[in-house]
Amino acid sequence: MSDLSIATPVYSQATARRTGSGNRQLLSWLVPAVLVLAWEALARFGKIPPYILPAPTKVISTAISLVRDGTLIPDIGISLLRAASGFVIGGSIGFAFGVAVGFSRTAGLLLDRTILMLRAIPFLAVLPLVIVWLGIGEGAKIFLVAFGVAFPIYMNTVLGIRQVDPKLVELGRVTGLSTGTLIRRIILPGALPSILNGVRYALATAWLALVVAETIAASSGIGFLAMDAREFLRTDVIVLVIVIYAAIGVAVDSVAKLLERRLLAWHPNYAREANR
Amino acid sequence: MTAAVTVRGLRRSYGDRTVIRSLDLHIERGEFVVLLGESGCGKTTLLRALAGLDPIDAGRIDGPARPAVVFQEHRLLPWDSLWRNVALGLPEKDSRRRAETALAEVGLGDRLDDWPRNLSGGQAQRVALARALVQQPKLLLLDEPFAALDALTRIKMQSLVRALVRKHQPGVLLVTHDVDEAITLGDRALVMRDGAIARGHAISAAASGHRSHPEAIALRDRLLADLGVGADA
Repeated sequence: MSDLSIATPVYSQATARRTGSGNRQLLSWLVPAVLVLAWEALARFGKIPPYILPAPTKVISTAISLVRDGTLIPDIGISLLRAASGFVIGGSIGFAFGVAVGFSRTAGLLLDRTILMLRAIPFLAVLPLVIVWLGIGEGAKIFLVAFGVAFPIYMNTVLGIRQVDPKLVELGRVTGLSTGTLIRRIILPGALPSILNGVRYALATAWLALVVAETIAASSGIGFLAMDAREFLRTDVIVLVIVIYAAIGVAVDSVAKLLERRLLAWHPNYAREANR
Repeated sequence: MTAAVTVRGLRRSYGDRTVIRSLDLHIERGEFVVLLGESGCGKTTLLRALAGLDPIDAGRIDGPARPAVVFQEHRLLPWDSLWRNVALGLPEKDSRRRAETALAEVGLGDRLDDWPRNLSGGQAQRVALARALVQQPKLLLLDEPFAALDALTRIKMQSLVRALVRKHQPGVLLVTHDVDEAITLGDRALVMRDGAIARGHAISAAASGHRSHPEAIALRDRLLADLGVGADA
Protein backbone atom coordinates (compact mmCIF):
# COMPACT_ATOMS: atom_id res chain seq x y z
CA MET A 1 0.00 0.00 0.00
CA SER A 2 1.38 3.40 -0.81
CA ASP A 3 1.83 5.96 1.87
CA LEU A 4 2.15 9.41 0.42
CA SER A 5 2.99 10.99 3.75
CA ILE A 6 6.19 8.95 3.89
CA ALA A 7 6.89 8.56 0.21
CA THR A 8 6.64 12.29 -0.50
CA PRO A 9 9.55 13.07 -2.80
CA VAL A 10 12.27 15.37 -1.52
CA TYR A 11 11.62 18.16 -3.98
CA SER A 12 7.95 18.45 -3.01
CA GLN A 13 8.63 20.49 0.13
CA ALA A 14 10.14 23.26 -1.97
CA THR A 15 7.32 22.93 -4.49
CA ALA A 16 4.75 23.19 -1.74
CA ARG A 17 6.19 26.50 -0.61
CA ARG A 18 5.98 27.92 -4.11
CA THR A 19 2.58 26.74 -5.30
CA GLY A 20 0.82 26.30 -1.96
CA SER A 21 -0.47 22.92 -0.86
CA GLY A 22 -4.05 23.70 -2.04
CA ASN A 23 -3.03 23.89 -5.69
CA ARG A 24 -0.94 20.78 -5.34
CA GLN A 25 -3.95 18.85 -4.00
CA LEU A 26 -6.07 20.05 -6.93
CA LEU A 27 -3.43 19.03 -9.43
CA SER A 28 -3.29 15.48 -8.09
CA TRP A 29 -7.05 15.13 -8.64
CA LEU A 30 -6.86 16.23 -12.27
CA VAL A 31 -6.12 12.87 -13.91
CA PRO A 32 -8.75 10.84 -11.99
CA ALA A 33 -11.36 13.52 -12.75
CA VAL A 34 -10.55 13.45 -16.47
CA LEU A 35 -10.73 9.64 -16.49
CA VAL A 36 -14.15 9.60 -14.82
CA LEU A 37 -15.48 12.28 -17.18
CA ALA A 38 -14.21 10.34 -20.20
CA TRP A 39 -15.81 7.17 -18.87
CA GLU A 40 -19.10 9.01 -18.37
CA ALA A 41 -18.98 10.48 -21.88
CA LEU A 42 -18.13 7.18 -23.57
CA ALA A 43 -20.95 5.42 -21.76
CA ARG A 44 -23.47 8.20 -22.40
CA PHE A 45 -22.83 8.30 -26.12
CA GLY A 46 -23.15 4.57 -26.43
CA LYS A 47 -19.50 3.82 -27.17
CA ILE A 48 -19.51 1.36 -24.24
CA PRO A 49 -22.64 -0.81 -23.87
CA PRO A 50 -24.14 -0.62 -20.33
CA TYR A 51 -23.70 -4.34 -19.71
CA ILE A 52 -19.91 -3.94 -20.21
CA LEU A 53 -19.48 -0.79 -18.16
CA PRO A 54 -22.35 1.47 -17.08
CA ALA A 55 -21.84 5.21 -16.68
CA PRO A 56 -20.66 6.49 -13.27
CA THR A 57 -23.94 8.40 -12.86
CA LYS A 58 -25.83 5.16 -13.40
CA VAL A 59 -23.75 3.47 -10.71
CA ILE A 60 -24.55 6.33 -8.33
CA SER A 61 -28.29 6.11 -9.00
CA THR A 62 -28.14 2.34 -8.50
CA ALA A 63 -26.42 2.94 -5.15
CA ILE A 64 -29.20 5.34 -4.13
CA SER A 65 -31.99 2.94 -5.09
CA LEU A 66 -30.27 0.01 -3.35
CA VAL A 67 -29.96 2.07 -0.17
CA ARG A 68 -33.65 3.09 -0.51
CA ASP A 69 -34.95 -0.47 -0.76
CA GLY A 70 -32.85 -1.38 2.26
CA THR A 71 -30.49 -4.02 0.88
CA LEU A 72 -27.15 -2.24 0.53
CA ILE A 73 -26.50 -0.99 4.07
CA PRO A 74 -27.23 -4.31 5.86
CA ASP A 75 -25.04 -6.14 3.35
CA ILE A 76 -22.16 -3.73 3.95
CA GLY A 77 -22.70 -4.17 7.69
CA ILE A 78 -22.50 -7.96 7.39
CA SER A 79 -19.30 -7.76 5.35
CA LEU A 80 -17.66 -5.36 7.81
CA LEU A 81 -18.67 -7.53 10.73
CA ARG A 82 -17.08 -10.59 9.09
CA ALA A 83 -13.86 -8.72 8.38
CA ALA A 84 -13.75 -7.30 11.91
CA SER A 85 -14.37 -10.61 13.70
CA GLY A 86 -11.84 -12.42 11.52
CA PHE A 87 -9.35 -9.64 12.11
CA VAL A 88 -9.78 -9.65 15.89
CA ILE A 89 -9.53 -13.45 16.13
CA GLY A 90 -6.60 -13.84 13.74
CA GLY A 91 -4.88 -10.73 15.09
CA SER A 92 -5.08 -11.92 18.70
CA ILE A 93 -3.73 -15.34 17.81
CA GLY A 94 -0.91 -13.87 15.73
CA PHE A 95 -0.04 -11.36 18.44
CA ALA A 96 -0.10 -13.94 21.24
CA PHE A 97 2.21 -16.32 19.37
CA GLY A 98 4.36 -13.39 18.27
CA VAL A 99 4.87 -12.24 21.86
CA ALA A 100 5.67 -15.80 23.00
CA VAL A 101 8.20 -16.42 20.22
CA GLY A 102 9.64 -12.91 20.48
CA PHE A 103 10.40 -13.31 24.17
CA SER A 104 11.22 -16.94 24.65
CA ARG A 105 13.93 -18.80 22.83
CA THR A 106 12.24 -22.08 23.76
CA ALA A 107 8.89 -20.96 22.38
CA GLY A 108 10.73 -19.86 19.25
CA LEU A 109 12.35 -23.27 18.81
CA LEU A 110 9.06 -25.05 19.45
CA LEU A 111 6.76 -22.92 17.32
CA ASP A 112 8.57 -20.84 14.77
CA ARG A 113 9.21 -23.58 12.20
CA THR A 114 5.61 -24.80 12.29
CA ILE A 115 4.26 -21.30 11.89
CA LEU A 116 6.60 -20.55 9.00
CA MET A 117 5.53 -23.78 7.29
CA LEU A 118 1.87 -22.78 7.62
CA ARG A 119 2.73 -19.32 6.37
CA ALA A 120 4.12 -20.83 3.17
CA ILE A 121 0.55 -21.70 2.22
CA PRO A 122 -1.05 -18.92 0.18
CA PHE A 123 -4.04 -18.33 2.42
CA LEU A 124 -6.48 -18.41 -0.50
CA ALA A 125 -5.36 -21.96 -1.28
CA VAL A 126 -7.01 -23.27 1.88
CA LEU A 127 -10.41 -22.02 0.75
CA PRO A 128 -11.67 -25.37 -0.67
CA LEU A 129 -10.60 -27.09 2.53
CA VAL A 130 -12.33 -24.46 4.62
CA ILE A 131 -15.55 -24.97 2.66
CA VAL A 132 -15.34 -28.73 3.24
CA TRP A 133 -14.78 -28.18 6.96
CA LEU A 134 -17.10 -25.32 7.70
CA GLY A 135 -19.46 -25.18 4.74
CA ILE A 136 -20.31 -21.78 3.33
CA GLY A 137 -21.57 -20.31 6.60
CA GLU A 138 -20.11 -17.42 8.59
CA GLY A 139 -17.47 -19.66 10.15
CA ALA A 140 -15.75 -20.28 6.83
CA LYS A 141 -15.40 -16.61 5.97
CA ILE A 142 -14.24 -15.61 9.42
CA PHE A 143 -11.75 -18.48 9.42
CA LEU A 144 -10.30 -17.42 6.10
CA VAL A 145 -9.91 -13.80 7.21
CA ALA A 146 -8.36 -14.87 10.52
CA PHE A 147 -5.96 -17.21 8.72
CA GLY A 148 -4.80 -14.42 6.44
CA VAL A 149 -4.46 -11.89 9.25
CA ALA A 150 -2.63 -14.02 11.81
CA PHE A 151 0.65 -14.32 9.87
CA PRO A 152 1.52 -10.70 9.14
CA ILE A 153 0.70 -9.81 12.75
CA TYR A 154 2.77 -12.72 14.02
CA MET A 155 5.79 -11.94 11.83
CA ASN A 156 5.84 -8.24 12.65
CA THR A 157 5.35 -8.80 16.37
CA VAL A 158 8.29 -11.21 16.52
CA LEU A 159 10.41 -8.90 14.40
CA GLY A 160 9.47 -5.85 16.45
CA ILE A 161 10.29 -7.49 19.78
CA ARG A 162 13.61 -8.82 18.53
CA GLN A 163 14.56 -5.42 17.14
CA VAL A 164 14.12 -3.55 20.41
CA ASP A 165 17.40 -1.82 21.21
CA PRO A 166 19.27 -4.14 23.64
CA LYS A 167 20.86 -1.07 25.23
CA LEU A 168 17.42 0.13 26.33
CA VAL A 169 16.60 -3.31 27.72
CA GLU A 170 19.89 -3.17 29.62
CA LEU A 171 18.94 0.23 30.96
CA GLY A 172 15.67 -1.28 32.18
CA ARG A 173 17.60 -3.97 34.03
CA VAL A 174 19.96 -1.41 35.59
CA THR A 175 16.96 0.61 36.72
CA GLY A 176 15.62 -2.51 38.40
CA LEU A 177 12.39 -2.81 36.45
CA SER A 178 10.32 -5.92 36.99
CA THR A 179 9.78 -8.14 33.94
CA GLY A 180 6.22 -6.87 33.62
CA THR A 181 7.26 -3.23 33.72
CA LEU A 182 10.15 -3.92 31.35
CA ILE A 183 7.72 -5.36 28.80
CA ARG A 184 5.19 -2.57 29.27
CA ARG A 185 7.57 0.38 29.31
CA ILE A 186 10.37 -0.73 26.99
CA ILE A 187 9.74 -3.82 24.88
CA LEU A 188 6.20 -3.27 23.63
CA PRO A 189 6.65 0.45 22.86
CA GLY A 190 9.88 -0.43 21.05
CA ALA A 191 8.12 -3.12 19.03
CA LEU A 192 5.07 -0.96 18.31
CA PRO A 193 6.16 0.56 14.97
CA SER A 194 6.71 -2.92 13.57
CA ILE A 195 3.47 -4.26 15.06
CA LEU A 196 1.44 -1.41 13.58
CA ASN A 197 3.08 -2.06 10.24
CA GLY A 198 1.82 -5.62 10.55
CA VAL A 199 -1.65 -4.35 11.43
CA ARG A 200 -1.84 -2.26 8.29
CA TYR A 201 -0.65 -5.12 6.15
CA ALA A 202 -3.09 -7.49 7.87
CA LEU A 203 -6.00 -5.12 7.27
CA ALA A 204 -5.35 -5.30 3.54
CA THR A 205 -5.10 -9.09 3.75
CA ALA A 206 -8.34 -9.31 5.73
CA TRP A 207 -10.16 -7.31 3.11
CA LEU A 208 -8.79 -9.47 0.29
CA ALA A 209 -9.75 -12.66 2.12
CA LEU A 210 -13.24 -11.35 2.62
CA VAL A 211 -13.71 -10.42 -1.04
CA VAL A 212 -12.67 -13.91 -2.13
CA ALA A 213 -14.74 -15.72 0.50
CA GLU A 214 -17.85 -13.69 -0.25
CA THR A 215 -17.46 -14.03 -3.97
CA ILE A 216 -17.15 -17.80 -3.89
CA ALA A 217 -19.52 -18.78 -1.16
CA ALA A 218 -22.01 -16.46 0.47
CA SER A 219 -25.72 -15.75 0.77
CA SER A 220 -25.33 -12.25 2.15
CA GLY A 221 -22.78 -9.44 2.21
CA ILE A 222 -21.66 -7.19 -0.60
CA GLY A 223 -19.67 -9.96 -2.32
CA PHE A 224 -22.91 -11.92 -2.57
CA LEU A 225 -24.59 -8.80 -3.94
CA ALA A 226 -22.09 -8.72 -6.79
CA MET A 227 -22.38 -12.42 -7.57
CA ASP A 228 -26.15 -12.21 -7.48
CA ALA A 229 -26.03 -9.23 -9.85
CA ARG A 230 -23.84 -11.21 -12.25
CA GLU A 231 -26.70 -13.67 -12.75
CA PHE A 232 -28.86 -10.84 -14.04
CA LEU A 233 -26.08 -9.00 -15.88
CA ARG A 234 -26.51 -6.04 -13.51
CA THR A 235 -23.08 -4.60 -14.29
CA ASP A 236 -23.99 -1.40 -12.46
CA VAL A 237 -24.34 -3.31 -9.17
CA ILE A 238 -21.08 -5.16 -9.78
CA VAL A 239 -19.22 -1.91 -10.39
CA LEU A 240 -20.85 -0.41 -7.31
CA VAL A 241 -19.64 -3.31 -5.16
CA ILE A 242 -16.10 -2.92 -6.52
CA VAL A 243 -16.18 0.77 -5.67
CA ILE A 244 -17.50 0.04 -2.18
CA TYR A 245 -14.73 -2.51 -1.59
CA ALA A 246 -12.17 0.08 -2.64
CA ALA A 247 -13.72 2.84 -0.55
CA ILE A 248 -13.86 0.73 2.59
CA GLY A 249 -10.29 -0.43 1.99
CA VAL A 250 -9.11 3.18 1.78
CA ALA A 251 -11.15 4.18 4.84
CA VAL A 252 -9.77 1.33 6.94
CA ASP A 253 -6.23 2.16 5.87
CA SER A 254 -6.68 5.81 6.85
CA VAL A 255 -7.90 4.75 10.26
CA ALA A 256 -4.79 2.60 10.63
CA LYS A 257 -2.62 5.52 9.52
CA LEU A 258 -4.30 7.81 12.02
CA LEU A 259 -3.66 5.23 14.73
CA GLU A 260 0.02 5.11 13.74
CA ARG A 261 0.29 8.85 13.86
CA ARG A 262 -1.22 9.04 17.33
CA LEU A 263 0.65 6.11 18.85
CA LEU A 264 3.97 6.92 17.21
CA ALA A 265 3.97 10.66 17.82
CA TRP A 266 7.40 10.21 19.42
CA HIS A 267 8.85 8.60 16.30
CA PRO A 268 11.01 10.84 14.07
CA ASN A 269 9.26 9.50 10.94
CA TYR A 270 5.93 10.76 12.21
CA ALA A 271 7.24 13.85 13.95
CA ARG A 272 6.36 16.26 11.15
CA GLU A 273 2.72 15.24 11.14
CA ALA A 274 2.42 15.13 14.92
CA ASN A 275 3.69 18.69 15.31
CA ARG A 276 1.13 20.08 12.95
CA MET B 1 31.95 7.99 56.55
CA THR B 2 30.17 4.95 55.20
CA ALA B 3 31.23 2.80 52.31
CA ALA B 4 29.47 3.19 48.97
CA VAL B 5 31.03 0.01 47.64
CA THR B 6 33.81 -2.40 48.58
CA VAL B 7 35.27 -4.88 46.11
CA ARG B 8 37.58 -7.70 47.13
CA GLY B 9 39.43 -10.15 44.91
CA LEU B 10 37.19 -9.59 41.89
CA ARG B 11 37.91 -11.78 38.90
CA ARG B 12 36.13 -11.83 35.57
CA SER B 13 37.04 -13.70 32.42
CA TYR B 14 35.52 -14.21 29.01
CA GLY B 15 36.36 -17.73 27.91
CA ASP B 16 40.07 -18.21 28.63
CA ARG B 17 40.82 -14.46 28.53
CA THR B 18 40.95 -12.97 32.01
CA VAL B 19 39.87 -9.33 31.87
CA ILE B 20 39.93 -8.59 35.60
CA ARG B 21 42.25 -10.48 37.93
CA SER B 22 42.09 -10.02 41.67
CA LEU B 23 40.86 -6.45 41.87
CA ASP B 24 40.27 -4.55 45.13
CA LEU B 25 38.41 -1.26 45.30
CA HIS B 26 36.81 0.85 48.00
CA ILE B 27 34.70 3.94 47.50
CA GLU B 28 33.20 6.04 50.30
CA ARG B 29 29.87 7.87 50.17
CA GLY B 30 30.50 11.31 48.75
CA GLU B 31 33.83 10.29 47.26
CA PHE B 32 34.51 10.88 43.56
CA VAL B 33 36.79 8.21 42.14
CA VAL B 34 38.00 8.33 38.56
CA LEU B 35 39.14 5.19 36.83
CA LEU B 36 41.64 5.66 34.00
CA GLY B 37 43.07 3.11 31.65
CA GLU B 38 43.65 2.44 28.01
CA SER B 39 40.94 0.79 25.96
CA GLY B 40 40.53 -2.87 26.70
CA CYS B 41 42.13 -2.72 30.16
CA GLY B 42 38.91 -3.90 31.78
CA LYS B 43 37.53 -0.64 33.17
CA THR B 44 34.16 -0.97 31.49
CA THR B 45 34.01 -4.61 32.55
CA LEU B 46 34.55 -3.51 36.14
CA LEU B 47 31.78 -0.94 35.87
CA ARG B 48 29.38 -3.48 34.39
CA ALA B 49 30.18 -5.91 37.20
CA LEU B 50 29.47 -3.19 39.79
CA ALA B 51 26.21 -2.38 38.01
CA GLY B 52 25.16 -6.01 38.26
CA LEU B 53 24.98 -6.30 34.48
CA ASP B 54 27.63 -9.00 34.20
CA PRO B 55 28.24 -11.97 36.47
CA ILE B 56 31.57 -12.24 38.30
CA ASP B 57 33.77 -15.31 38.44
CA ALA B 58 35.34 -14.82 41.86
CA GLY B 59 35.58 -12.33 44.71
CA ARG B 60 32.86 -10.24 46.24
CA ILE B 61 31.19 -6.89 45.79
CA ASP B 62 29.64 -5.29 48.88
CA GLY B 63 27.54 -2.41 47.69
CA PRO B 64 24.05 -1.35 46.79
CA ALA B 65 22.06 -3.91 44.81
CA ARG B 66 21.13 -1.23 42.36
CA PRO B 67 23.64 1.54 41.71
CA ALA B 68 22.62 4.22 39.21
CA VAL B 69 24.41 4.22 35.87
CA VAL B 70 24.92 6.87 33.21
CA PHE B 71 26.18 5.38 29.97
CA GLN B 72 28.14 6.90 27.14
CA GLU B 73 24.89 7.07 25.14
CA HIS B 74 21.96 8.74 26.85
CA ARG B 75 19.68 5.69 26.41
CA LEU B 76 16.50 7.71 26.79
CA LEU B 77 13.29 5.95 25.79
CA PRO B 78 12.26 7.77 22.61
CA TRP B 79 8.56 7.00 23.19
CA ASP B 80 8.37 8.61 26.62
CA SER B 81 8.33 12.28 27.54
CA LEU B 82 11.29 13.60 29.50
CA TRP B 83 9.61 13.37 32.86
CA ARG B 84 8.45 9.80 32.20
CA ASN B 85 12.00 8.93 31.24
CA VAL B 86 13.33 10.34 34.48
CA ALA B 87 10.57 8.66 36.48
CA LEU B 88 11.32 5.23 35.00
CA GLY B 89 11.35 2.76 37.87
CA LEU B 90 10.04 5.20 40.47
CA PRO B 91 6.88 4.26 42.36
CA GLU B 92 3.89 5.79 40.61
CA LYS B 93 2.94 8.03 43.52
CA ASP B 94 4.68 11.38 43.43
CA SER B 95 6.80 10.32 40.44
CA ARG B 96 6.03 13.37 38.33
CA ARG B 97 6.94 15.77 41.10
CA ARG B 98 10.20 13.96 41.82
CA ALA B 99 11.05 13.86 38.11
CA GLU B 100 10.31 17.56 37.88
CA THR B 101 12.69 18.33 40.73
CA ALA B 102 15.42 16.20 39.16
CA LEU B 103 14.96 17.80 35.74
CA ALA B 104 15.04 21.26 37.30
CA GLU B 105 18.39 20.39 38.87
CA VAL B 106 19.88 19.74 35.45
CA GLY B 107 18.31 22.92 34.04
CA LEU B 108 15.51 21.27 32.07
CA GLY B 109 12.62 21.91 34.44
CA ASP B 110 10.61 23.59 31.69
CA ARG B 111 10.82 20.64 29.27
CA LEU B 112 8.89 18.01 31.26
CA ASP B 113 6.56 16.99 28.44
CA ASP B 114 9.02 17.31 25.58
CA TRP B 115 10.25 14.35 23.54
CA PRO B 116 13.86 13.12 23.70
CA ARG B 117 14.25 13.61 19.94
CA ASN B 118 14.02 17.38 20.43
CA LEU B 119 17.11 17.45 22.67
CA SER B 120 20.72 18.16 21.82
CA GLY B 121 23.34 15.60 22.82
CA GLY B 122 24.28 17.54 25.95
CA GLN B 123 20.66 18.03 27.02
CA ALA B 124 19.92 14.34 26.52
CA GLN B 125 22.89 13.44 28.67
CA ARG B 126 21.64 15.84 31.36
CA VAL B 127 18.29 14.02 31.37
CA ALA B 128 20.18 10.74 31.74
CA LEU B 129 21.98 12.26 34.72
CA ALA B 130 18.66 13.39 36.23
CA ARG B 131 17.29 9.88 35.74
CA ALA B 132 20.27 8.46 37.64
CA LEU B 133 20.12 10.97 40.50
CA VAL B 134 16.35 10.79 41.01
CA GLN B 135 16.90 7.28 42.38
CA GLN B 136 19.00 8.83 45.19
CA PRO B 137 21.74 6.27 44.59
CA LYS B 138 24.39 5.39 47.14
CA LEU B 139 26.69 4.62 44.24
CA LEU B 140 26.73 6.41 40.89
CA LEU B 141 28.54 4.77 37.98
CA LEU B 142 29.50 6.96 35.03
CA ASP B 143 30.71 5.15 31.92
CA GLU B 144 32.43 7.84 29.82
CA PRO B 145 29.28 9.96 29.88
CA PHE B 146 30.99 12.98 28.31
CA ALA B 147 32.85 11.17 25.54
CA ALA B 148 30.32 11.90 22.81
CA LEU B 149 29.90 15.59 23.67
CA ASP B 150 31.63 18.55 22.05
CA ALA B 151 34.34 20.30 24.08
CA LEU B 152 32.25 23.24 25.35
CA THR B 153 29.26 21.09 26.30
CA ARG B 154 31.62 18.70 28.03
CA ILE B 155 33.02 21.45 30.28
CA LYS B 156 29.52 22.60 31.26
CA MET B 157 28.44 19.01 31.86
CA GLN B 158 31.47 18.35 34.05
CA SER B 159 30.75 21.26 36.35
CA LEU B 160 27.09 20.24 36.53
CA VAL B 161 28.07 16.72 37.54
CA ARG B 162 30.49 18.03 40.14
CA ALA B 163 27.85 20.32 41.67
CA LEU B 164 25.18 17.63 41.77
CA VAL B 165 27.51 15.02 43.24
CA ARG B 166 28.48 17.50 45.95
CA LYS B 167 24.80 18.04 46.69
CA HIS B 168 23.61 14.41 46.67
CA GLN B 169 26.79 12.80 48.02
CA PRO B 170 26.74 9.41 46.29
CA GLY B 171 29.96 7.50 45.92
CA VAL B 172 31.01 7.99 42.29
CA LEU B 173 33.04 5.85 39.94
CA LEU B 174 33.74 7.64 36.67
CA VAL B 175 35.32 5.65 33.88
CA THR B 176 37.21 7.79 31.38
CA HIS B 177 40.39 7.96 29.37
CA ASP B 178 40.66 11.72 29.66
CA VAL B 179 43.37 12.64 32.17
CA ASP B 180 42.30 16.28 32.47
CA GLU B 181 38.73 15.22 33.16
CA ALA B 182 40.01 12.93 35.91
CA ILE B 183 41.96 15.77 37.57
CA THR B 184 39.08 18.25 37.30
CA LEU B 185 36.42 15.97 38.73
CA GLY B 186 38.04 13.38 40.94
CA ASP B 187 39.04 13.16 44.59
CA ARG B 188 41.13 10.16 43.65
CA ALA B 189 42.40 8.81 40.34
CA LEU B 190 43.02 5.12 39.80
CA VAL B 191 44.94 3.71 36.88
CA MET B 192 43.91 0.28 35.75
CA ARG B 193 46.30 -1.97 33.88
CA ASP B 194 46.17 -5.68 33.02
CA GLY B 195 42.95 -6.27 34.91
CA ALA B 196 44.00 -4.73 38.23
CA ILE B 197 44.33 -1.31 39.83
CA ALA B 198 47.97 -0.47 39.12
CA ARG B 199 48.23 2.92 40.78
CA GLY B 200 46.18 5.39 42.82
CA HIS B 201 46.68 9.13 43.25
CA ALA B 202 44.88 11.49 45.57
CA ILE B 203 43.85 14.68 43.79
CA SER B 204 44.22 17.87 45.83
CA ALA B 205 41.68 20.69 45.68
CA ALA B 206 44.41 22.89 44.26
CA ALA B 207 45.01 20.51 41.35
CA SER B 208 41.28 20.23 40.67
CA GLY B 209 40.88 23.97 40.82
CA HIS B 210 42.98 25.00 37.86
CA ARG B 211 44.54 23.02 35.07
CA SER B 212 47.72 25.15 35.01
CA HIS B 213 48.35 24.84 38.77
CA PRO B 214 51.77 23.23 39.33
CA GLU B 215 50.18 20.33 41.24
CA ALA B 216 47.79 19.70 38.35
CA ILE B 217 50.65 19.69 35.85
CA ALA B 218 52.71 17.32 37.99
CA LEU B 219 49.75 14.98 38.49
CA ARG B 220 48.95 15.00 34.79
CA ASP B 221 52.53 13.91 34.03
CA ARG B 222 52.38 11.14 36.61
CA LEU B 223 49.04 9.84 35.33
CA LEU B 224 50.23 9.92 31.72
CA ALA B 225 53.34 8.03 32.75
CA ASP B 226 51.19 5.44 34.52
CA LEU B 227 49.14 5.10 31.37
CA GLY B 228 52.31 4.43 29.37
CA VAL B 229 52.40 7.74 27.49
CA GLY B 230 55.25 9.33 29.44
CA ALA B 231 56.84 12.75 29.19
CA ASP B 232 59.15 11.55 26.43
CA ALA B 233 56.16 11.25 24.11
